[in-house]
Amino acid sequence: MTPTLSHRLDAVARNVVPAALGVFFVLISSIPFYIPGFGPVAPNFVLMAVFFWAVHRIDLFTSVTVFFIGLLLDILVGAPPGINAAVLVLVRAIAASQGKVFRGKSFLVLWWGFGLVALASGLVIWILTAIYHLTLINPLPIIFQMTMTIAAFPFLAWIFARTHQKLFQHV
Amino acid sequence: MRLAAPAKVLLQRFAFLFLILAAFGIMLLSKSETIVVEKVSTVVVDVFAPIMDVLSRPAAAANDAVKTVRGLADLRDENIRLARENERLLVWQEAARRLASQNQALQSLLDFKPSPNSQSIATRVIADSGGAFVRSIVVNAGDRDGVRKGQAAVSGAGLAGRVTTAGYRSARILLITDINSRVPVLIESSRDRAILSGDNSGMPRLTFLPANASIKAGDRVITSGHGGVFPPGLQIGQVVPSGDGIMRVKPNVSFDQLEFVRLVDFAAVSPIVPQGEPAVPPKNAASR
Repeated sequence: MTPTLSHRLDAVARNVVPAALGVFFVLISSIPFYIPGFGPVAPNFVLMAVFFWAVHRIDLFTSVTVFFIGLLLDILVGAPPGINAAVLVLVRAIAASQGKVFRGKSFLVLWWGFGLVALASGLVIWILTAIYHLTLINPLPIIFQMTMTIAAFPFLAWIFARTHQKLFQHV
Repeated sequence: MRLAAPAKVLLQRFAFLFLILAAFGIMLLSKSETIVVEKVSTVVVDVFAPIMDVLSRPAAAANDAVKTVRGLADLRDENIRLARENERLLVWQEAARRLASQNQALQSLLDFKPSPNSQSIATRVIADSGGAFVRSIVVNAGDRDGVRKGQAAVSGAGLAGRVTTAGYRSARILLITDINSRVPVLIESSRDRAILSGDNSGMPRLTFLPANASIKAGDRVITSGHGGVFPPGLQIGQVVPSGDGIMRVKPNVSFDQLEFVRLVDFAAVSPIVPQGEPAVPPKNAASR
């Protein structure tokens, strides 16, 4: 293998990591954890992944990737297909347009921004689900879920930040 | 591909709009063209089923370990409890034997055609809904194992749900707590009929109860068998009145701990079996 080819393969491998992480978190979101009451309020890992990577490496996380990750999430958890796809594409667009606000600032700023985005996506998911089923749905589960998601964000963001550093430190 | 900056921005805007519209399109499509979307979803779940199967094993193993440790702690109490239960069950066994022979005698007297024995498939839960608004699970058995749409999913404690889609090696089960679930039920003591309607909460509601229904907290709720999807008499749970005058049912199945479910084919068993005809179509004989 020529050095240029291996170098190229290496770069490709690095570049697919964010998308692969997205798919991995979709799978993690769908497996059972056997913790009483955890299922419905489990943090939305995929939302965190999309937000983080859209702020830091928007080029590696295209709208199309995000769309398919959302669609996969919808299909695997059995949600109405399209809801998470729409929300994640929206979140990516917001995170991308506000990326400058967050990059290089303290983590609290990023967390605050994520909190707003998570609340907004919770609201959108709730409205879309209610319209889809044509009934008023109790919003409590999504409120809990988004609270858990916001609370878990620092932990996941730390993992993403380490991954980001390891992968792209010399790029 | 190299593009001038403005063109690139335009392309990105276009992609964004297109994808949002596509998402809404898929949502609408899944409402109107249910079968197509269901088929595609089934294939996708099938593809990811082996991965989810592997990923879900550590969680299941951890859960088993926790259960074992907890079990060790109260081994003595459990033993005493089981010994007492055993005594009680022996009495019931006596009663059951007596009733079985009596039942047989009465059946032969009436020339009664018993419903055929249904076949069941034991499956492992490989995915549960991570969504806030969905109550469904995916199991690691599908068409190749004899799983068919409409089969009832039961755990030891009672009815859990029913198969909504069956892929080749996986199947999705709509739990009785899901907002789309409707199960015709019977209050065991008063024989009042009702519909058990899921609303995504842990305790589904009893709807369409007759106005003069005399039900109280703790009454047991069983499937009524109307509609032919579930057989009559499957245990579901107990009535719990909630503050707003709505009667709810606390399911016997603990959905958080659902690790294995049995899928039982009752759909083929029509409630009224014409004499002289097999109750189960031959296609069922192939299922394992």
